[in-house]
Amino acid sequence: MDNIKFTIEHLSKSFEKKTVLKDVDFTFNKGKIYGLLGRNGAGKTTLFNCLNRDLKADSGSFYIEDNGARREVKAEDIGYVLSTPTVPEFLTGREFLKFFIDINENAIRDKRSIDEYFDYMGIASEDRDKLLKDYSHGMKNKMQMLVNIIARPNILLLDEPLTSLDVVVAEEMKQMLRSLKKECIIIFSTHILDLAIDLCDDIVLLSHGELELVEKSDLDNKDFKDKIIYTLREDDNE
Amino acid sequence: MNKTLKISFALKNTYRVNSILYALKQTLLIKMILPSALYGVKGLKIFANILSALWEIISTFLGKAVYLGFIYLIVANGYNGAFTIRELFLHMLLFLTVIGAFLNTNLFNPTKEKYYAVFLMRMDAKQYILINYGYAIVKLIIGFLPFMIMMRSMLDLPVWLSVLLPFSIAGLKLFVAATSLWDYEKRGLVYNENKLGKFLWAFVALMLILAGGLPAVELAVPQLVSTSLFIAFVPLGIIGALKVIRFNEYKEVFKDLFAQTQPFTDRKTQAVRKQSEKYISTDTGITSSRKGFEYLNELFIKRHKALLWSASKKITYVCVVLAVGVMIASYLFPEINGSVNHLILNWLPYFAFIMYFLNRGTGFTQALFVNCDHSLLTYSFYKQPGMILKLFAIRLREIMKINALPAAVIGTGMSLLLFVTGGTDNVLNYAVIIISILCMSAFFSVHYLTIYYLIQPYNAASEIKSGTYQLVRVLTYLVCYYMIRVRMPTIVFGTLTIVFCVMYCIIACILVYRLAPKTFRLRQ
Repeated sequence: MDNIKFTIEHLSKSFEKKTVLKDVDFTFNKGKIYGLLGRNGAGKTTLFNCLNRDLKADSGSFYIEDNGARREVKAEDIGYVLSTPTVPEFLTGREFLKFFIDINENAIRDKRSIDEYFDYMGIASEDRDKLLKDYSHGMKNKMQMLVNIIARPNILLLDEPLTSLDVVVAEEMKQMLRSLKKECIIIFSTHILDLAIDLCDDIVLLSHGELELVEKSDLDNKDFKDKIIYTLREDDNE
Repeated sequence: MNKTLKISFALKNTYRVNSILYALKQTLLIKMILPSALYGVKGLKIFANILSALWEIISTFLGKAVYLGFIYLIVANGYNGAFTIRELFLHMLLFLTVIGAFLNTNLFNPTKEKYYAVFLMRMDAKQYILINYGYAIVKLIIGFLPFMIMMRSMLDLPVWLSVLLPFSIAGLKLFVAATSLWDYEKRGLVYNENKLGKFLWAFVALMLILAGGLPAVELAVPQLVSTSLFIAFVPLGIIGALKVIRFNEYKEVFKDLFAQTQPFTDRKTQAVRKQSEKYISTDTGITSSRKGFEYLNELFIKRHKALLWSASKKITYVCVVLAVGVMIASYLFPEINGSVNHLILNWLPYFAFIMYFLNRGTGFTQALFVNCDHSLLTYSFYKQPGMILKLFAIRLREIMKINALPAAVIGTGMSLLLFVTGGTDNVLNYAVIIISILCMSAFFSVHYLTIYYLIQPYNAASEIKSGTYQLVRVLTYLVCYYMIRVRMPTIVFGTLTIVFCVMYCIIACILVYRLAPKTFRLRQ
């Protein structure tokens, strides 16, 4: 089985005089869900945007280590799911999937039929040929997630993806993420501490423009939570 | 009272000053120099404040001067002397004043400042609105007064009347405002000057026709009647003012007004999105047998056919009708043939400006963004360099088709006209006209799609957020406008156009291929 690592080295990003990311230095491993926590304005979305190359970082680099061989991160390595799902409203769910599969033909391993993908995501058959503009928020979210995981990206960035979903869909999504983690590195940004502790294997804090792993060691959930809050609060006082 | 006046001024001014600073900041070159904290830089703030104050003064006086000058020009030159200037002037002013009283009320104009003050800052609605409205009315009178008095002799007005007229104009505005308030109390309907119903538009059109059309058939409101009406507007204004002051439900009125117009951006964006969703055809028969980007493109074009093609088709029909019309005219009145022939052989540069207006570049790229790229650009597969360029080529083909339809009709129509009005010694002219006009349409297609791909001016909320893009658009306009003045034989200009357009298209495509993979992104 592939052993994939995703390393960020000394990444920095400033907006004029305001430094948002100072020195992000971290290695993520395949098989884990990382919960990315930070206060409002800490730079979580900026970090994701830099990794997805929507924003140009000022300095630093990030790369993938594939069985020890270092290589550049390509666009197809990354899936990025936004909190507000954006889907092309003028296509039907089926058309969107067909379009995606068409142009990613070579990148998709063990391709399945479109209906199999819909089944996997729990999208009902009567909805599959509806225009996406008529999809509910939760269904749009599922479509976005589906398109991002079909090509099996090595890194999946999730920006607050579950916050606006109803409990049933949120639970389905959580299950799916757990099943996906064997195959990729999932970095999950959220404001909800309970969700992070429930779903994620490791908690990483973004504070002072740096990433920092919070060791759980043998703490129970309550003490672990207190430790996280304490660390985040400390930022304010410094 | 004094405090409300001060606050509302400060609010309006801050809003204006920050808008000026924001516009500065959005321009490419200045962006690099200015810090993000520019809203707090004192020197800049003073500069913007001066601009803002200048604008206040200009808006008080300049508009009124232009307005009166415009009426004067029409009454002095437009009709052939059946009436005195005074009679004509009062006739026109009367109808225009009626229109202004409905279209430019100030009171029923839901502006952002009003929204901020009344709803966000929870100022006393009545006090705030009365003070602002009072200020607007006083500004109107002060703006008109000096010009009425200065133009007194030109318009042959007695002094008392020239002093009275500004008050009459204000009076009618107040009275119309008051009737809308009465109407609100009676029927609960809110008048919104930005959303007129069909009847009001018909009324406005009727007033315009009466203003300009009656004198043309040698009819005008007698001076005695118009003067009496203007005098009557003053006491009506006083009645109106009393109602405006006594009215107590401004907050409710504005709640309704803002619910209709949605002044702030997130709701506005939603409205834009809703509007664009409406254009998506729900015809289930629409399918595509293509693959990949051709599949995406075909579905996009088919489902947005109404949005993308309707304007272009309408323009084409109008052009056909115009061309046939001129041909019939040339058959019926052969004496015009000489000048039409001369125009076609010498006025080709003018068509650069016409083609600028007819091209659908801006509408097309906006539709691309709002209805397609806005969502797909969030997916990384869509941003791979090869993919961006593939789609660029497909889209270029589509926009060229849309623009080429009217261009082909115009080019062919002109060549035919040239032929029926006497022809030309150089047969090359026929080909040059058709090809150069098609080239112009191709140029605009390439131009707008290129700047869209190189600047990508929209943010996620589909608002244009790039000063550079605006600048390029203004420059394009200016260059095309300048072409109106160029007089050059068609064969020379046409050949130059063809060479220029081909060169431009090549360079633009090279630029897109080099740069678009980096520039074609959602604006953060």
